[in-house]
Amino acid sequence: MTSPMNRRSFLRSTAAAGLAAGLAPSLAFAQDAPLGITLVLPSPLGDVGWGRALADGLEPVKAAYGDKVKVTILENIMEGPDADRIMTKSVADGNKFLVAGSFGYQNGALQIARRNADVSVLHASGFMVAPNFTPFAAKNFEGTYLLGMAAAAVSKTGKLGSVSAFAIPELITSINAFAMGAQAINPAAEVAVVWVNSWFDPAKEQEAAKALIAQGCDVIFSNAQDTPSVVDVCEKSGAYVCNLNSSMKAYAATKYLGCAATDWSPFFLEAVNAHFDGSFKGHNAFLGTADKVEKVIDWSADIPADAMEKIKAKEAGIISGEAPVFAGPISRQDGSEGVAAGAALKDEEIVAMDWHVEGVTTPLPN
Amino acid sequence: MNAITFVLAGMLAAATPFLLAALGELIAERAGVLNLGIEGMMAVGAVIAFLTVHQFGTHSLGFLLAGLAGAALSLVFAWLSISLRANQVAAGLAIGILGQGLSALFGKNYESKTVSGLPKLSVPGLGELPVVGGLFTQDFVVWIALLATFAIWAALRFSKMGLVIRAVGENPAAARSLGYPVIAIRYGAVLFGGLMAGFAGAYASTVYTPLWADGMIAGRGWIALALVVFATWMTGRVFFGAVLFGAVSLAQLAAQAGGVNLNSQLLACLPYLVTIAVLGIISSNRRLLKVNGVASLGKTYIP
Repeated sequence: MTSPMNRRSFLRSTAAAGLAAGLAPSLAFAQDAPLGITLVLPSPLGDVGWGRALADGLEPVKAAYGDKVKVTILENIMEGPDADRIMTKSVADGNKFLVAGSFGYQNGALQIARRNADVSVLHASGFMVAPNFTPFAAKNFEGTYLLGMAAAAVSKTGKLGSVSAFAIPELITSINAFAMGAQAINPAAEVAVVWVNSWFDPAKEQEAAKALIAQGCDVIFSNAQDTPSVVDVCEKSGAYVCNLNSSMKAYAATKYLGCAATDWSPFFLEAVNAHFDGSFKGHNAFLGTADKVEKVIDWSADIPADAMEKIKAKEAGIISGEAPVFAGPISRQDGSEGVAAGAALKDEEIVAMDWHVEGVTTPLPN
Repeated sequence: MNAITFVLAGMLAAATPFLLAALGELIAERAGVLNLGIEGMMAVGAVIAFLTVHQFGTHSLGFLLAGLAGAALSLVFAWLSISLRANQVAAGLAIGILGQGLSALFGKNYESKTVSGLPKLSVPGLGELPVVGGLFTQDFVVWIALLATFAIWAALRFSKMGLVIRAVGENPAAARSLGYPVIAIRYGAVLFGGLMAGFAGAYASTVYTPLWADGMIAGRGWIALALVVFATWMTGRVFFGAVLFGAVSLAQLAAQAGGVNLNSQLLACLPYLVTIAVLGIISSNRRLLKVNGVASLGKTYIP
């Protein structure tokens, strides 16, 4: 009984030793070669937007590691088989760190992670986790709550609008928080939403913004548009505008209210550090203001000082955890109870949120 | 009420990219050449116009160069499909994809840059009217597009040139036997189509949505193409279809903004559904189809 066990373990250890010896030169080589980091983006990389925020997040990694990392950005990669092929090739070429920058890359990226245990994968806005596969998302709603407060403070009509891409929880929570922030300043504030049902159609986004302005909205929240389409229209029409991901102040010199920006660099740096020291472990990374990932930047000078004080106080409350955004009581759009007084939504409830709060005037598409 | 004003004010501008591209395609198809590369020609026109306006700030120069760029790309298509007698569908698709690729390449360093649009010109007296005033306050290009619609309608219907183009599309062999240069006329028609597609792209990127983003044409060339077919190759209906499409797409956004309790995905389909339904119904007349259909459309002509 013990003999075969011994033989087996002996065989195993010799095999391991042999393997290690055989691999030793290539391992040494691998340590000399820089770590290939590949960022895959669904849209063309511009000066602003989602892709820019991700690309900028890798800059501190480059600065910290210098020659030890080599960052490749693959842009405008259509979700689906094309992306799977391109990501697989990138890994086959020796890149060991993959940042998949869109929800639609999930299945392909996950397969790559399963097949290549030595590759670390970060995946934007998904929910699947594997030992070397970390989905990441930003708590945009923390920023949009603060923007909503500012919006209500500068709005004359109390009517706010949001041009939104698709009715998915991530965008719904941003709108809800925007409405709740506005109501914290002006309880009568309302938010109208136009769903353009496209991630990318600048002409339609501009039409949507014009439609909202024509209905009397004087602050527009550009919810997940990658181009300054909405921002540009608002500046020209005299409506205040705010957006997500990266600042578009350059496109709206007078009417830019602020940006719920995401700075991915602390997260990326931590993940690359973990990859180097071998401690990379897949987990659900839902990152907010307290993680220094979510932050409102480029506040407009038009926001009254007393409102700004309240905004700063709320921001401090979000960071300390004393004043979470989705703390009850919250009423649903139809007036029924959404969150009871004294309770607060947990992260897993937030990422699945499929209802609007009271004050959002447009019904949710189902 | 706000919604009606909004739709009336915006529908002509929303229709203009479709209208310009569809008018060009109408001429090409009337001469018997099916050009499926409209989307790519619009994309090239859009990027060239944007680069020009971004660099020099002159919209007229932007439109001129965009038109020439569209025409240049259509020249390649004409050479393939008319001179080399390649399959029109395959050649058109290939040129369309090429155009989209070229536009991405040229626009690489201008991603999400913006330019200023064009001021709006108001018809004296009518522009100040309540509700409908916006309809009479449009930018220069919209007025030109309206004039172009009328000119093309008149040319196809009343001029000798129009008659010859239609004859070439109907029966190229017969047209040739009458001594008309079929090849040259088809080249001309295709070039005109490319020119108009270039203008349409220029309008999209420098006036209607004055910013550059790769892929911003977003299928508008295909819609223009469909409009021509659904309009049974009649100029008036192309115009009507384009304006209807523009109006319904704005109306669905206005309805959402106004809090109408309808599914937004359904609303987003509305422009397509309404345009197909309306143009489908008016073109269900078989006699009309027979009279207006282009007999040699898509067929390679071998003299």
